[in-house]
Amino acid sequence: MSERTVRDGGAPLPGNPRGDASPDRRDGGDSDIAPQRHDEPALLAVDDLHVEFDTYGGVVKAVRGVSFSVRPGKTLAIVGESGCGKSVTVQSIMGLIPMPPGRITSGTAMLDGIDVIHQKVVEGEDIRGSRIGMIFQDPMSSMNPTMTVGDQIAETLEVHRGYTRSQAYARAVELLGMTHIPEPAERAKQYPFVFSGGMLQRAIIAMAIACEPDILIADEPTTALDVTIQAQILDLLDELQATTGMAIILITHNLGVVARLADDVAVMYAGQIVEKGSSEELFHQCAHPYTLGLRAAMPGNDPHREQGLQAIEGTPPDMFDPPRGCSYFARCPHAMRLCEDRLPERFEVSPHHYASCWLQHPASPVEVPGLYRGEGEAA
Amino acid sequence: MFRYTVKRLIQGVITVWFIATATFIAMHSVPGDPLSGERLTNEEIRANLEARYGLDRPLFEQYLIYMGNMTRGDFGISFTQQNRRVNDIIREHFPVSATLGILAVVFAALGGILWGALTALFRNRLPDVVIMFLVILGISVPSFVVAGLSQLGLTSLNALFGVSILPVAGWGTLLHMIVPSLVLGLGTMAFLTRLMRSSMLEIINADFVRTARSKGLPPTRIFLKHQLRNAILPVITVLGPAIAAITTGGFVVELVFAIPGLGRYFVQAVQQLDYTVIMGTTVFYGAFLVFMVILVDLVYGFIDPRVRLE
Repeated sequence: MSERTVRDGGAPLPGNPRGDASPDRRDGGDSDIAPQRHDEPALLAVDDLHVEFDTYGGVVKAVRGVSFSVRPGKTLAIVGESGCGKSVTVQSIMGLIPMPPGRITSGTAMLDGIDVIHQKVVEGEDIRGSRIGMIFQDPMSSMNPTMTVGDQIAETLEVHRGYTRSQAYARAVELLGMTHIPEPAERAKQYPFVFSGGMLQRAIIAMAIACEPDILIADEPTTALDVTIQAQILDLLDELQATTGMAIILITHNLGVVARLADDVAVMYAGQIVEKGSSEELFHQCAHPYTLGLRAAMPGNDPHREQGLQAIEGTPPDMFDPPRGCSYFARCPHAMRLCEDRLPERFEVSPHHYASCWLQHPASPVEVPGLYRGEGEAA
Repeated sequence: MFRYTVKRLIQGVITVWFIATATFIAMHSVPGDPLSGERLTNEEIRANLEARYGLDRPLFEQYLIYMGNMTRGDFGISFTQQNRRVNDIIREHFPVSATLGILAVVFAALGGILWGALTALFRNRLPDVVIMFLVILGISVPSFVVAGLSQLGLTSLNALFGVSILPVAGWGTLLHMIVPSLVLGLGTMAFLTRLMRSSMLEIINADFVRTARSKGLPPTRIFLKHQLRNAILPVITVLGPAIAAITTGGFVVELVFAIPGLGRYFVQAVQQLDYTVIMGTTVFYGAFLVFMVILVDLVYGFIDPRVRLE
């Protein structure tokens, strides 16, 4: 297993994490501040993002006040079950949600002083593809079936870097090599339908990092792949991060992937972030019952274990009409009366570790003990 | 690719042979023959004529003789028109029909793709509603009505300006071709518009289009290289049969606009049971259409790499 010394050893990042790769744009911001763990300025700061969708059944509030930040060169994992709004969150940042029916009602995402939610083009250049790259869940359908793989990678370079066709194509072949695709020159000439799923995901990664973005958004990059290929793709992401110094936002519901790659974790539930903090904190000292439930639901690999999978009872709340209080109330084994009525405020569990839950909240009223819901009724 | 082409050509030859045989059988099943139209009171004269044209021989022998001549490129002599060989009729009149047909197909394909893409991009908004209304009209109003109305419009237009801006009927110059080919292609264009619209709607939010957006490509590039190129595939598939429908369906339009095309001979021959002209025009049209379909399939392979290998 490849351990990244750069990250886990806590070594300070160099001023320009990308070396000489793109000297033109990276001089502002973080270069003159000696970065410290967690206190370095955020590369991307998302604040109070709200996204809604109009449907025949009414308005779905898919994302409700999400805030998080991404540190340069680090990996932030956003975890949560299906439908919790994690994909919608990143797609809103990238301007990929269809509008209508989608609508970003409020929120900002600041990247170097620019709100990328409202301004996609900076000085004539789209930040998508140049400063933020993105890879998707299903590689088989994410590439244009009528263009060669090489042309699709080269296209990004032609548009953003002004390369000529042949320059861009030559670079595309190099990029395919960087993502460990054998015989890249041959492969670049082929069409996506010739590729296997794992190879395509590598090609899509090559495409996303073609312009050396500051951030790579990976929206469940391994979900559609089989397990051995999953591991290879994760290794590749790990390796590319170490060589290019890019930050990664990793959307997943696989805690194994989180443990392996993430520096920071944000746990989403019903369109909100319920807990966030460093990966170690969240695995060993989580403060929210939902995080605890997710951890308990992780399958182990002990063949002698007799216990089956531990699921979290119930289903997520109706997003047409989200609950007034804590959205996890209905499923929470530790819910209190207070949780039903009042939305839990965010509090700092330990430095840089936040949770939105009344259980350990310092301001929580002291009516707590003995009032756990379910003790009398459920029997 | 070469093997595929050869295979398709062999299949095409078999198809044409089948068309010829079926037409031959159907034609001879119709009561009467080319001579029964003439006032031949004398049985002997009739027998002489039948012997002269070989109509007294067994049907299978006639079939073999005809097929033999046809493979040598000889379609025979017309029964009803003085001194005209079927080859000459085709040679003189097919170019007119083909010009009209090709113009109509080009107009139908370009219009269909353009309007279809436009309606998909403006789905449920004003341009979509207006164009789709016109499309329903184009599909449901028959071409002889459109042809007649357009002539009426042309005469009014020419009268209004006092000079002949566009000729109302006839053939010869490019100006003569514009209105008839528009009328002829209208139904197909409406059909292609609907097809293009639905195929574009499927593509418009496809995963790979989302990928293209995430790469920060300009909207025009996304439209041309990622959406249009993929949405166009079903349109190209039906283009072969559409060419068939347009070139053979030109009869009515040719008649209304007094265009000396092949359609008139095609229809008249059947009415008069002019055996050689029926066979000649049918086999020729059949071969032409089979060839067009093969051509379209080969072109398809260039646009969609996935069909190239088969």
